Amino acid sequence: MSAKQVRRGNSWLPYALIAGNALLLALVFWQATTDWQALRRYSQGPVRFASLQPGTLAWRQPVLPAEYAEGSCGACHHEDMPQTPRLNHGRQLIVKFNCIGCHRLQDSERPAMLGPDLTNVGTKVSREWIYKWLKEPRTLTDANGTVTVAGVSTDPRMPKFRLSEIELRALSAYLSAQHAKPVAPYRFSPHVVTVAAKGGDPADQGQIRFNQMFCVTCHALAVDRGGETTIIGGDIGPELTKVGSKVKPEWLVAWLRNPEGYLEHTRMPQYQWSDQDLYEVTQFILKKLTDPDLLKDVPQMESPSEDEIQLGQRLFVEKGCAECHAIRGVQPRSNFAPDLSALGMAAGPYLVQVKLPRKESNALHFVPSNVKQLDISVSKIPKFMISYIQAKVTDPTSVTPQAHMPQFHLSQPDLEDLTMALLSMSGPPIAGTAQNSLIIERPHKEFHPEGQVGQLYQRYKCYVCHTFKGYGGTLAPDLSYEGSRSRREWLAQFLRNPQTLRPTLTVRMPHFNMSEEDATTIANYLSATLQKPNLDPAAVNEKEFTDQMAAQGKQLFETKYACQSCHTIGSSGGYVGPSLNNAGNWLTPAWIEAWLRNPQDLIPGTIEPRQSIGEDEIKEITAYLLTLKQTPAEPNAAVAATAGGGSRHWLHVWVYLSLPVRTSRPGPAGAGPGIIAFL
Amino acid sequence: MKAKPHTEGKEYISFGTYGSEIDWNNPDRILPLNYDQAQGKRIFYQQCVWCHADTTPAGPSNRSNVTPDPPLMNDGAVLNAVSDDSLRKIIALGGSAVGKSAMMPPYGRSLSQDEIDAVVAYIRVISVSADKNPPAKTN
Repeated sequence: MSAKQVRRGNSWLPYALIAGNALLLALVFWQATTDWQALRRYSQGPVRFASLQPGTLAWRQPVLPAEYAEGSCGACHHEDMPQTPRLNHGRQLIVKFNCIGCHRLQDSERPAMLGPDLTNVGTKVSREWIYKWLKEPRTLTDANGTVTVAGVSTDPRMPKFRLSEIELRALSAYLSAQHAKPVAPYRFSPHVVTVAAKGGDPADQGQIRFNQMFCVTCHALAVDRGGETTIIGGDIGPELTKVGSKVKPEWLVAWLRNPEGYLEHTRMPQYQWSDQDLYEVTQFILKKLTDPDLLKDVPQMESPSEDEIQLGQRLFVEKGCAECHAIRGVQPRSNFAPDLSALGMAAGPYLVQVKLPRKESNALHFVPSNVKQLDISVSKIPKFMISYIQAKVTDPTSVTPQAHMPQFHLSQPDLEDLTMALLSMSGPPIAGTAQNSLIIERPHKEFHPEGQVGQLYQRYKCYVCHTFKGYGGTLAPDLSYEGSRSRREWLAQFLRNPQTLRPTLTVRMPHFNMSEEDATTIANYLSATLQKPNLDPAAVNEKEFTDQMAAQGKQLFETKYACQSCHTIGSSGGYVGPSLNNAGNWLTPAWIEAWLRNPQDLIPGTIEPRQSIGEDEIKEITAYLLTLKQTPAEPNAAVAATAGGGSRHWLHVWVYLSLPVRTSRPGPAGAGPGIIAFL
Repeated sequence: MKAKPHTEGKEYISFGTYGSEIDWNNPDRILPLNYDQAQGKRIFYQQCVWCHADTTPAGPSNRSNVTPDPPLMNDGAVLNAVSDDSLRKIIALGGSAVGKSAMMPPYGRSLSQDEIDAVVAYIRVISVSADKNPPAKTN
């Protein structure tokens, strides 16, 4: 065969060779540059693209429906933003209900304590009570099965597990056998008992003391108001309406004397009790906060048998109790429940624009949503992520009958906010990309003073309600700059008798019966350490103020700026801001001047608007405010006044603002705790 | 060159609202809010509700402590007669700047222009006059 023949007869061959090679090259090139992972993720199963709304395919639409739009903000913004009140509330709910106990969640770390440590629970409650609690973890019920106040159900955080009779008996047997560290009974001297009996019923005396100490700041009580049951009090500690039928008397006394002796990580402060007070308050709790019918439907149970205890111990781990409750010697199982740290991804992939080197500049970022771990694929309900989440939280058996997950009771708005927070879960930040800088870290830095103050800080649990440099609770004012704001003498006196100086505001600070030494130590620390930078206390000389300036200031206060619309002086004025009756003893001149210049600079987010007040006017108003002084009332007189109910609606105000409450009208979309600090 | 996932050639428009508010004059009606109105609601409940509503999230209202009585924000008969510009001016500069009571402080330095606009947008939603929107009939 000549070369010519080859050329003529088989002229397609070289072309085919070239084309074939080119095809091969193209294939290799495509393979090399294709994000196979992405393709695979996109083509996997129907669940991955679970729709957000009935009838739409979410993956064409990487945004959430408008009512859940705040969840999209949360995909990148891990800090709380003022524009997303519902998302912030949803995140608070995740913390409140201890979702982190079983699920891995973005931005959440396991706290030291989730549910109470049960190592010694046998010394606290009876087997009958445990049985009742496990069967139905609610103590307050009305005809409908639950008491709701302003649309918020008053259920405790403990969800309801669906347990059989055998399981209930076994678990209650196991738990009631937990008494490694017996409670040493505390004997009141007969003298205390006789003195208490002289003043009338000790339980009545105890009730007065209970109110005076403001236990309701943290503990709620159900009260009857005109035939309607309402809840008054906070939710930092458990609700106490029927606690007298729950706890053993010797345990209650030991607990009140030293809470950390029973629970290492408790938030309950250690009060400085006199024996008299302790006796009367325990009498009140054990005699008045009771319900004789509480345990009436609990069957008679003998002392637990060894078999029941064995089974109970196994169930304790199997049911997931150990994920929230510690018992010495019991190890929780790891990865108990599905990882939800990227749940938002399962509801429709977020397109995250990541700045990478030029070659890969339009990278799509996919986060494994772990959606395979969820039982959404076997659910009977439509497979839309939002309805799936909501069904799962409120009634997991509606998804799959054999679900492990317990049942939570949430109001509809709470459920929606919680869903929103779950939908914002976008997985861990991508290492080595620009996304890291998008995420603003939450201030996790703990604040613990050293030395003697540190011990007092722990004993009185200041951080449970107050914020210190970004650490602590938001119930009470931020004390990060308290040393610049308040005078030392005022602080020392206030700590000893919190009601005296600002009765409308401070009903919520408990009465710790603090010794003078403790109060002075804390006050010295606050004024020496917690100072606002750039606020020179010596910049304003009080002595320069004249009576004439003060008179001018009064004029400005009352007429030009009409401050009395929000602040009370004397007995008239508004109560949006704090009463200024004792401003001269309370506030430092440098703070008042700085505050009048720019309140938001001192406390970001405070609602007092920044005004254009001239420098001379600032001096005059400061001079006026410093003349406002009150001699502190006798502790007992002040206590009597507040206990008389004069401030009752303020207590209510506080309760309202501190709880993430939504009213039906007007409905604050998460008028969060931020406001109360500045009211 | 990146693999583009296969997509359908159809666009979906998300529906729903950014929030809702119960009609102050008629508790049976729920008013949908758009984004600006929802932001306005948030600011209103932080800053304004204390004096411009009869009940507040905290319970009692500060309205009775202020003279003359501040207008209620659902009082359409009063508010619908005021233009958006006037509302913006009163919020930003305070009552004294427009010849009204100094009890209304100026918010121009603590709220941004956008935030004030959002509040005005929200006011327009709730300030429906009562006659336009009769209360639900009760049997």
